[in-house]
Amino acid sequence: MSENLRITNNKFIDQTTTISFKFDGKTLYGFKGDTLASALLANNIHLVGRSFKYHRPRGIMTCGSEEPNAIVQVGNDASMTEPNARATEIELYEGLDASSQNCWPSVNFDIGAVNNFFSPIIPAAFYYKTFMWPASFWKKYEYFIRKSAGLGKSPTEPDKDIYDHRYLHCDVLVVGGGISGIIAAKTAANNGLNTVLIDDKNYLGGTTLFQQNECFKINNSYSNEWLKKEIETLNSIENLTIKTRTTLAAYHSYNYLLARENLTDHLSSSKKKNKIRQRLWKIRAKKVIIATGAMERPLIFNNNDRPGIILSTSIKKYIDYYGVKCGQKISLFTNNDSAYETAISLINSGVTVNSVIDIRDKTNSLIVKQAEKLGIKIHWKSTVVNTNGYKKINSIEIMKLSDDSSGVIGKKINEECDCLGISGGWTPRVHLFTQSGGKLKFKDKDNVFLPDKSELDQISIGSCNGDFELDEVIKNSFKLTNKFLNLNNNDYENLEIISSKEIDKKNIWLLPSDKPLGKTKPFLDFQNDSTAKDVKLALREGFKSIEHVKRYTTTGMGTDQGKLSNMNALGIIAETTGVKMGELGTTTFRPPYTPLTFGAIVGRNVGEFFDITRKTPMHDWHVENKAEFENVGQWKRAWYYPIKNENMHKAVQRESKAARDSAGILDASTLGKIDIQGSDASEFLNRVYTNTWSKLEIGKCRYGLMLNEDGMVYDDGVTARLGENHYLMTTTTGGAANVLSKLEDYLQTEWPELDVYLTSVTDHYATISICGPNSKKIVKKVIPDLDLTDNNFPHMSFKNSMIGKIRCRVMRISFTGEHSYEINIQSSYGKSVWEECFKAGKEFNITPYGTEAMHLLRAEKGFIIAGQDTDGTMTPVDLQMDWIISKKKYDFIGKRSLYRSDTIREDRKQLVGLLTEDPKEVLEEGSQIVAETNKQPVEMLGHVTSSYFSPNLNKSIALAVIKSGKKLKGKKMFVPMENKTINVIITDAIFLDKENKRLNA
Amino acid sequence: MPDWNSAIKKIDNDAASVNTKHHSELFISEVEPIIKLNLRGKSRDFLSMVGKILNIILPTEANTSTNNEYITALWFSPDEWLIFKNNVTNRDTEEIKIEENLFKNISQKKLGSVTNVSDQFVLINIQGKNVYELLSSGCPFNFNDFKNKKGAVTQTILNHTDVIIYNEEINKINLFVRRSFSEHLWSWINDCASRL
Repeated sequence: MSENLRITNNKFIDQTTTISFKFDGKTLYGFKGDTLASALLANNIHLVGRSFKYHRPRGIMTCGSEEPNAIVQVGNDASMTEPNARATEIELYEGLDASSQNCWPSVNFDIGAVNNFFSPIIPAAFYYKTFMWPASFWKKYEYFIRKSAGLGKSPTEPDKDIYDHRYLHCDVLVVGGGISGIIAAKTAANNGLNTVLIDDKNYLGGTTLFQQNECFKINNSYSNEWLKKEIETLNSIENLTIKTRTTLAAYHSYNYLLARENLTDHLSSSKKKNKIRQRLWKIRAKKVIIATGAMERPLIFNNNDRPGIILSTSIKKYIDYYGVKCGQKISLFTNNDSAYETAISLINSGVTVNSVIDIRDKTNSLIVKQAEKLGIKIHWKSTVVNTNGYKKINSIEIMKLSDDSSGVIGKKINEECDCLGISGGWTPRVHLFTQSGGKLKFKDKDNVFLPDKSELDQISIGSCNGDFELDEVIKNSFKLTNKFLNLNNNDYENLEIISSKEIDKKNIWLLPSDKPLGKTKPFLDFQNDSTAKDVKLALREGFKSIEHVKRYTTTGMGTDQGKLSNMNALGIIAETTGVKMGELGTTTFRPPYTPLTFGAIVGRNVGEFFDITRKTPMHDWHVENKAEFENVGQWKRAWYYPIKNENMHKAVQRESKAARDSAGILDASTLGKIDIQGSDASEFLNRVYTNTWSKLEIGKCRYGLMLNEDGMVYDDGVTARLGENHYLMTTTTGGAANVLSKLEDYLQTEWPELDVYLTSVTDHYATISICGPNSKKIVKKVIPDLDLTDNNFPHMSFKNSMIGKIRCRVMRISFTGEHSYEINIQSSYGKSVWEECFKAGKEFNITPYGTEAMHLLRAEKGFIIAGQDTDGTMTPVDLQMDWIISKKKYDFIGKRSLYRSDTIREDRKQLVGLLTEDPKEVLEEGSQIVAETNKQPVEMLGHVTSSYFSPNLNKSIALAVIKSGKKLKGKKMFVPMENKTINVIITDAIFLDKENKRLNA
Repeated sequence: MPDWNSAIKKIDNDAASVNTKHHSELFISEVEPIIKLNLRGKSRDFLSMVGKILNIILPTEANTSTNNEYITALWFSPDEWLIFKNNVTNRDTEEIKIEENLFKNISQKKLGSVTNVSDQFVLINIQGKNVYELLSSGCPFNFNDFKNKKGAVTQTILNHTDVIIYNEEINKINLFVRRSFSEHLWSWINDCASRL
C-alpha cells in the first residue's frame, strides 16, 4: 500500500485492520471499510480495465453504482466467479481476488488495443454496415463477432452459493438513506407508521455524511455532525426497519418492489460458508418515498476517458470517506459549484489542487468565495480541450471559451496533473419513478428530468426530485413527507441552515475543442465507447428517435445502462436537431436498476426445490421397487418398473402383457376426485357432462365427458353415485384443479340457484387399481367379506366395504378393458393396502405397471386420454363418441357449440386407428399423415396422437386424428419421416376385444 | 388391519410416530392423526344443526375461527368451514362417529355437505420466535396484523403450495397442507428454518 496516498485522520474506515486482496494476480493491501476501488486508488492503481470496443485504458471514474469503467471479474472458481462487478461497490474482504476484464494478455499490454488505432474507420454501426455482405460470409463473421462480444467470463459450473427470497409488507418504504431519506423515514416511523428504510451502501447518510464545510451548517453544527446525530436516533425507533447493503432493483405496479440485500458478499470466504449470499426482498408498500439522490454527470470533451479522470464528487468521497487521495496534483473541471467543495476538501487534506477550470464567466457563491480565499486558482470561462497520458492522465490542455462559448480562443495552457476531477452538473435518479410508470417533466433551468405524474401512492424527495441545495433538500423533504403521509410533524421546521447557493448556471453538452470534431474523441458512453461523433453520425444518417440512436450507437446499452451517458447524449441530440430536451424524452428505464444475479432471482428454487413435487401415498413403495418416474403436472407418477437392465420398451411390454394375462396393479391415486353433495347434485352433473345422470342408480358409476363452452372436450372421468344427493367425480390427473375451479365458478356465477357443494378429496383417498383375469381372486383375498360375483357387483358399480376396521370403497371400473377393481381407501392406509394387494397377488404374478403401460393398454381399447388424443379442438363427435351426447337434455356446457356450422363440418379432424403395413414399425407420436407423397406442397391431413407396439396383439397400433377420418376407414395413407415413408391403413380406433368380453372375464 | 402411515417420510429415527424437528427458535412437528371435516352450507338451519351436534358456533367473520374444548372451526368462505379435533385421536372409531352423525343430520337432510378430509390435509405445527420469519420466506401474505390476532386464519401459498394457516397462539401456528404436497413442503420448511 502506498502510504502517501492515504490520509490518517479518517473517521469512516477502520485503518487498524489491514485486509489483503489480489488484483490481476498481485497481492495488495487495503483497510476494513474500503471498496475495491478505494483500495486500488490507495495503491495508486488507476488502470483497471479496457473499454469494450477500442480497448482503451480505463480507470475508476466514480464511487458508486453508476461506474462504467471499473468493472472487474471477481474470483476464478468455475462455479462462483462473477463478471462485471463494479469495483466501486465491492466491499474489500480478506481473500478477494479480482481481475481486469476485456484485455489480453494483460490490462497493461492488451493486444486488442490495436482497435484504438483503427478507431477512425470503425465508427458507430460499423458492424451493421460491414458484415451484412456478402450474405454468405455471415457464418464466418459470426464466429469472430460472437467471440469478441460480451464482457467478462460467465461461470461454467452451477452456482454453489445459497440465495433466498423474503416477503415484506410495510406502511412506508423509503428508498435511499441520504439526508432526505433519513428525514422521511424518521418522520414516518415516529408517527406510528411501519417504515422500512433501505440503502445500497453499508452505511446511512449519503454524501452529507462526510460534508464538513463552513458553507453547509445546520443549527450551528457542520451538516455531517447534525446528520450523524439524526442517524444515531434511528436505532431507537420501534417502527423503523433499516436495511443497508440493499439495492432497490425494480419498482412495479401497485407499489410492489424488489430489493436485493447483500448478506455475505463483504465477508471472507471462511465466514460466508453455508450462509445466504443474497436475499431478494419482495416488498408490498402502502406508500413509497423515493429519496435516491442524484448522480454527477461527466463533461464531454476530447479524450475525457483517461484513467485518472474521475467525477469530482467521487474524488471528494475518496478523500473524505476513505481517506484516499486520487492524486497528488489534481485539477478540477466544472460547470457548477460542486467541484469547489471537492477542491476545499482536497486542500484541507493536504492535496495540491492545480486549478479549477470553470466554463462559467464568473460566480460569487459562498463556496466559490471560500475556495478563492484558500488561494485556489480558477480559470473562468475556460474549457479543457485535451488530456494527455496513455495509461494515466499526466496533463491537460486548457483554452478560453469564445464569447458565445461555441469555440475556443487564445493561448493553450498546458497543466500537469495526475488526476482530473470533472463535474457536469447533476442528474436526478428518476429511474425507479419511471419504472413504476411515472411520467417525467423537464426543468430547463437545471437541465434535468424530474418526476411529474404518477398513478401510484408515492413521492420523490430530495435531489431525485430536483432539490440540490442543502436547505431546499431538508425543507422540501420534510414538507413533502408531511403532506404525503398526512402528518403535522414539525421536527424539522425551525432548523437554522447555512447552505451555499449556486447562483450562476451554465451548461454546454459538447464542449468545444481547438480541433475539428472528427479529430477528437469526446466519449459519451465510456463502457461501450460511443462518442459524441457517433451520436451525430446517427443523426446524419436519419435516426431521430432517442431509442433508435441508442441502438444504433449502443449509447446506454452497457451493464451500467447509460447512467452517466444518457443525459449528455440527449443534450447533444437536442442541440444538434434543434428539438427541446423535454420534447425529446428519455429512453425507457427498465428494471433492474443495477444488475441482479441469477441466483437472487431464482432464490431457493434450485435442486430439489426447483419445482414442487406431489407424491402419492404409495410413492415410497415405487421408489423401493426401482420405478422410473414421470412428471404429470406436479405429480411424480411411476412410469415403469424396470427389472434388472430392462429398458423402457421391454419393461412396458412385460407389464402390459402381465396385466392382460394375469394381473396388474396401478397407483391411480393422482386422479382428481371431487365430492359432490346437495339436493341438485344430479341436475348439476346433467349440466356439466354431455350425458344424462338423473337416472343413474345409487351404487352405480358412469363415464362422463366434460366440454368447454366452445364444445371441445375439456376433461373426462368416471363419477359414482354414492347416495341420493351424493356423487364422487373423478377427473384427469392434470385437469383436477382446473375442473374444480371451473365447476365452482359455474356454481357461484352461472347457477347460483343450484343447491350443490363441491369438496376436493383428491389427496384424501389412495386409489389402487387391480386389473386382469385374476384381479377378482386377488381382491377377494384382500377383502374376503366382499361379494364379488358379477350379479352382485357388476361392471360400472361400486361397493362400500371394510379392510380390517378401515372403511374402503371398491369400484368396478376399467381403463384397460380388463376385469378391474379400484380400491379407494384413506391415504394414510394406502401404502399398507397396496402392499397387502401385492402380497395377495404374488401367486398370480401380479405385476405393478406404470403410466406408460397404462397408456398402451387403454390405446389397445381405443380409450382416449384427454390432453393426449385431444388438444382443445376435438368435439365428442370428432372423437367418434356421438353416443355420449344426450339428445334429450335441455342444456349442458358446450351444447350450443356442437351445432355450429364449423363443428358439424364433416371434414373436421376425427379420431381413427392406424395400423402400419409393417406390423413391427412403430410410428412416432406427432408424425404427420398425408394421402399423397408426390404432391407439392404436401397436404397434411392429420397426425398421430398415440402410438405403441402392442405385445398383446403383437403388432404396432396407433391413434390419430385425420380430416374426414370416419369416412376413410380402410384407406391407405402415408407417414413421411426424415429417411423413409411409412405406409399405414386407417382402421377402427378399437384394436382389442371389441365385444368387451374381457371386462367380465 | 392396514397400517397407518405418515404422509411425510420419516427421516429422523426417533421414537415419535410422526416427524418433529428442532431449529433455532423454531420447533416444527407433524400433528397426526387428527380428524378433519369439511362443512359446507348456507342456511341458518345448517349453522344451528352444526352448533347442536358439535357444540360450537361456526365463525361467520372472514378469516377467523371458533373453538371449544375439543374442536376448532376455521372459516374458509361464506359457506365453507374446516373443523378439526384439537388433539390427536383414535380416528378409526371417533372419526366415523362424528362424520356419520354430521352426514346423517346435514347432508342427508339437504342442509349442506359434510366431507371427511382427514387425509386430504396434513397438519404441521410450527412454533417459536422465528415463525413469521419462516413464513415470509415463501408466503406473500401480510402477517403484520395476523401474527397478533389469535385465532386468525388465512388461505394462502407457501413456497408455491396452497396452505391454510391458523394462528393458534402468539408465535404458534397450525399449517394445513394437502397430503401430496406435504413432504416437499416439510423439506422446504426445514431447509429454510435451518438458516434463520
